[in-house]
Amino acid sequence: PQELPLEAEDHQHQEEGEEKEEPGPENAFEKSPFHLTAEDVYDMSYVVGRELLTIRSEPSRTAQLQFKIVRILEMLEALVNESNLTVEELKMERDNLKKEVEGLRKECPAGKAEQLSLGPDKMIIDLTDPNRPRFTLQELRDVLQERNQLKAQLLIAQEELQCCKSGLISQKEDQAGPVQKESTVCNPSGSSKTNEEKTIIKRLFFFKSGK
Amino acid sequence: KMKSSLMHLVPPVSRDRIISHFPKWYTPEACLQFKDHFHAQVRSACQQRNTGTVGLKISKVVVVGDLYVGKTSLINRFCKDSFDRDYKATIGVDFEIERFEIAGVPYNLQIWDTAGQEKFKCIASAYYRGAEVIITVFDLADIQTLDHTKQWLEDALRENEPGSSFIFLVGTKKDLVSGAACERTELDAIRFANEMQAEYWSVSAKTGENVKEFFSRVAALAFEQSMLKELEKSYGRMAQIGAGNLIRIEGNSLETPESNAQANCC
Ligand SMILES: Nc1nc2c(ncn2[C@@H]2O[C@H](COP(=O)(O)OP(=O)(O)O)[C@@H](O)[C@H]2O)c(=O)[nH]1
Ligand SMILES: [Mg+2]
Repeated sequence: PQELPLEAEDHQHQEEGEEKEEPGPENAFEKSPFHLTAEDVYDMSYVVGRELLTIRSEPSRTAQLQFKIVRILEMLEALVNESNLTVEELKMERDNLKKEVEGLRKECPAGKAEQLSLGPDKMIIDLTDPNRPRFTLQELRDVLQERNQLKAQLLIAQEELQCCKSGLISQKEDQAGPVQKESTVCNPSGSSKTNEEKTIIKRLFFFKSGK
Repeated sequence: KMKSSLMHLVPPVSRDRIISHFPKWYTPEACLQFKDHFHAQVRSACQQRNTGTVGLKISKVVVVGDLYVGKTSLINRFCKDSFDRDYKATIGVDFEIERFEIAGVPYNLQIWDTAGQEKFKCIASAYYRGAEVIITVFDLADIQTLDHTKQWLEDALRENEPGSSFIFLVGTKKDLVSGAACERTELDAIRFANEMQAEYWSVSAKTGENVKEFFSRVAALAFEQSMLKELEKSYGRMAQIGAGNLIRIEGNSLETPESNAQANCC
């Protein structure tokens, strides 16, 4: 940036801020802060350094240095404000886009999927969605199967309990060995389970062996 | 010995589950059979307690139909005598077991409730297999659901031997439609029922209208059918080893005019 001979003080150029034939390091101070480049910053640092050196021999130039520093701070202020605004705007734009995408997904999931060059039978899953599908059909089948088995066992246990309560045991105790019998009635998992009982459960789930 | 201990495992059934007379149909225009008494052979077998393993008998009932037509409510009204205004979709399949005493013999219905949602079809269809009774349900206040019953029946029949299941067509939510509207819909439904070879019923799970009557009818028909099958089987076995008089007499009564009438009536 140092060796730029032409000192054309062209204001239009400054407005456009394009670094064509740069007029000299001083020019960086005239530019709009939004058009500054890294080169311009080096120029400014060079100029400030030069001023600091001359200040020793010529204290009257303090004002000039002050002016330059104020200018730099002004530019910094403008840039900081601008960048904060930009960040806010970007955030808003991001949120709007998110909403738009969600809306589109809900409206036309199939069409959307095709646009994304997935097959017509494919689906996109948002891994951050807590309600996303995660279980396979087989898993659901197994869970249902297990639940139904437990329900059947519960129903059988309830009936047995009802028998215990309604004193059917004591009737039976008269007929056969009391201790042995009681365990048959009240303990569904007992080894004394009859074959017939097992067939009830089997009958309940004879569809199980299917598909 | 094992059998006697088993008998005690079954508590007595509640009084309104005791069926001694054959329950009546809802409308003669769509009914599976007109008899008002049990098959003579079944009656005598029951009287003689010659019921084989029928004390453990469970018949499978599957309930199918569109989402929201009131399948779960119908079952809950009958099995739990409750009605829930709020809707809770059935996940996949669920079941209840209802115990009866029919003609003096203990008898169970296992009633399978299925989800009407398309996404559960592939799970539910595995449960259609071996259904002695298929109940197709529609909403009397939503005529479209009647149109869909044929598809539901077809799906259920696909999993079963032809002619092995009793079919019922049930219109629910009777309380929601006026008498005139109900009659109009029933005309369509009866036509459907005849095409489906089904017996027709209008019910309300909310008021309980016809619910007990309906399930009693289901139980009686299924019971009689499975008794006949059982007796036929044991007759076949006995005949092979040259059985005694008693059995042969019972076997002969299979060919009584009564069973012919049953075959003709619908
Ligand atoms: N008024 C009225 N509402 C009913 C009746 N049966 C079911 N419903 C209501 O209809 C909705 C769906 O019933 P549900 O049994 O869950 O239907 P399913 O999807 O076929 O099992 C629920 O909100 C029930 O409260 C009925 O007989 N009368
Ligand atoms: Mg349901």
